[in-house]
Amino acid sequence: MTGLALSNVEVVYDKVFLAIKGVSLEVGEGEMVALLGSNGAGKSTTLKAISGLLGPERGEITRGEIRFGDTDLRPLGAPARVDRGLVHVLEGRRVFGHLTPDENLVAAYRGGKAERSFEELRDEVYRYFPRLKERARSKAGYLSGGEQQMLAIGRALVTEPKLIMLDEPSLGLAPVLVAEIFAIIREINQKHGLTVLLVEQNAAATLEIVNRAYLIENGQIVMSGEAETLKRNPDVQEFYLGSGGKVDYHAIKHYRRRKRWLA
Amino acid sequence: MAYFIELLVNGALVGLMYALAALGFVLIYKSAGVPNLAQGALVMMAAYLVWYLGSLGLPIWIAIAVGAALMFGFGLLVERLLLRRMVGQPVIMVVMLTLGMEILLRGLIPGVFGAAPKPLDLGIGLAPVIVADVFMNRAYLIGGLVAVLLIAASMLFFRTRLGTKLRAVSDDHVASWAVGLSVERAIGLSWGIAGIAAVGAGVLWGSVQGVDWTLSTLLFPAIAVVILGGVDSIKGVLVGGLAVGILGSVIPGYLDAMVGGSTRDVVTSVIILLTILVRPHGIFGREDIERI
Ligand SMILES: Nc1ncnc2c1ncn2[C@@H]1O[C@H](COP(=O)(O)OP(=O)(O)O)[C@@H](O)[C@H]1O
Ligand SMILES: [Mg+2]
Repeated sequence: MTGLALSNVEVVYDKVFLAIKGVSLEVGEGEMVALLGSNGAGKSTTLKAISGLLGPERGEITRGEIRFGDTDLRPLGAPARVDRGLVHVLEGRRVFGHLTPDENLVAAYRGGKAERSFEELRDEVYRYFPRLKERARSKAGYLSGGEQQMLAIGRALVTEPKLIMLDEPSLGLAPVLVAEIFAIIREINQKHGLTVLLVEQNAAATLEIVNRAYLIENGQIVMSGEAETLKRNPDVQEFYLGSGGKVDYHAIKHYRRRKRWLA
Repeated sequence: MAYFIELLVNGALVGLMYALAALGFVLIYKSAGVPNLAQGALVMMAAYLVWYLGSLGLPIWIAIAVGAALMFGFGLLVERLLLRRMVGQPVIMVVMLTLGMEILLRGLIPGVFGAAPKPLDLGIGLAPVIVADVFMNRAYLIGGLVAVLLIAASMLFFRTRLGTKLRAVSDDHVASWAVGLSVERAIGLSWGIAGIAAVGAGVLWGSVQGVDWTLSTLLFPAIAVVILGGVDSIKGVLVGGLAVGILGSVIPGYLDAMVGGSTRDVVTSVIILLTILVRPHGIFGREDIERI
């Protein structure tokens, strides 16, 4: 069992600011699940709680449980979680800018603990992302946004994960590129059974590729369900899929009221 | 002309030995991403340690090897006891911490082992080496060679897988954790390696000028070397070292007689200031890449 389960997780920054308030969610083995929400809703905080990256930001889990398979993740440091097969592609890509793409992959290779050879893993990454191979010798900091995102995903794949968490991979990318990257994520999920937890603001594109989704607002999960069901939900259509398009004053008031009801 | 060449050659050799003192600084910057202002004290501490081991009756080469192992361990300890508490703190805190360490060690080590200068004999001998009528200081010549070897070894190291991981850590701590790199271990390792480099510098400089607290003032030329060469560039250590050594030898070689004082420190300071004004990243230092 390599499923991920959060129950009632609460995260506090700087000992005072409650960023997520009792988040519960599950990602089953081989599933592709999205966590959708607007800016500041608590998506990245949730991912950092799972990957163990709250420490450097003075954040702390104050309540709740996070399990990956049979393992309780809370006592483990970030590298130990990667060893268990869990990897986090950070918001804003965060490639190693002064290293070449090749070296970025080398840095993530787990050496003695890896099951496959580095060459095998690297070639696989370059098969998914052929553009990276063309840029293999320039510094990663000079790659385009799309190429950096591909590299960030490729770098995560070199750790041989069972579950990959992606934080807003579509951020700042042209729609064509978003489609390309999403297609590859989907392919990796379906062909290789890699479990995916995808964090996005871009609900329209995301609901097309995931099995299920959670909606998060103000640090709380307000809705969840099958992607198809959510797409048909009028609230989701209005506020996440933007079918209305125009944000008039009316809609905002309506939204406030609706949110109270949702919570 | 012969005088000029002599100044040039000996300046270059001294510069290489400065480079050796500066190497540990760059090793730490390149892997941990922090400036280590305690490097001067590490060099002094390493020299004292090797002298002490020698005074216990160990042959000098064994003393150097044991000293290197101990300094490696000391580097690991510094990370474990001090730097690990600095996670998530601004870099300036780490800078202050290393400065505090420099001051502490400068006072502590001579206090423990005795402040009077100690001789450190490597068995090199004093007779100058004469090549085509140029007199070269024998100790400087050997020191320069050792420096070149250690610098070359460091360059190769950063191309290995382990070296690449250390460079990644200096680039982005959080991204390193996210892909499973132990940032703590990488920083510990880089301090350990810098400790070994300090043994090289401490022993060679100690054999030239005796072992006492003044070895820690090598921090000053070392800083000039890394600022000129670029704080994260090993190649820069080599070139910066040669430049600081040559300028610090040739210019005082002519000026001292005229102004009747030692101008070497002035030259070193001018190098630091001019580099910061004209080329803040140094000759080979990386610029921070603007992310697209
Ligand atoms: N390092 C931090 N320190 C303090 N507050 C933070 C920190 N990171 C995020 N927050 C706050 O926590 C809330 C959730 O942030 P985040 O998880 O980054 O949201 P999202 O990823 O959904 O945009 C926001 O109100 C944000 O301001
Ligand atoms: Mg975010």
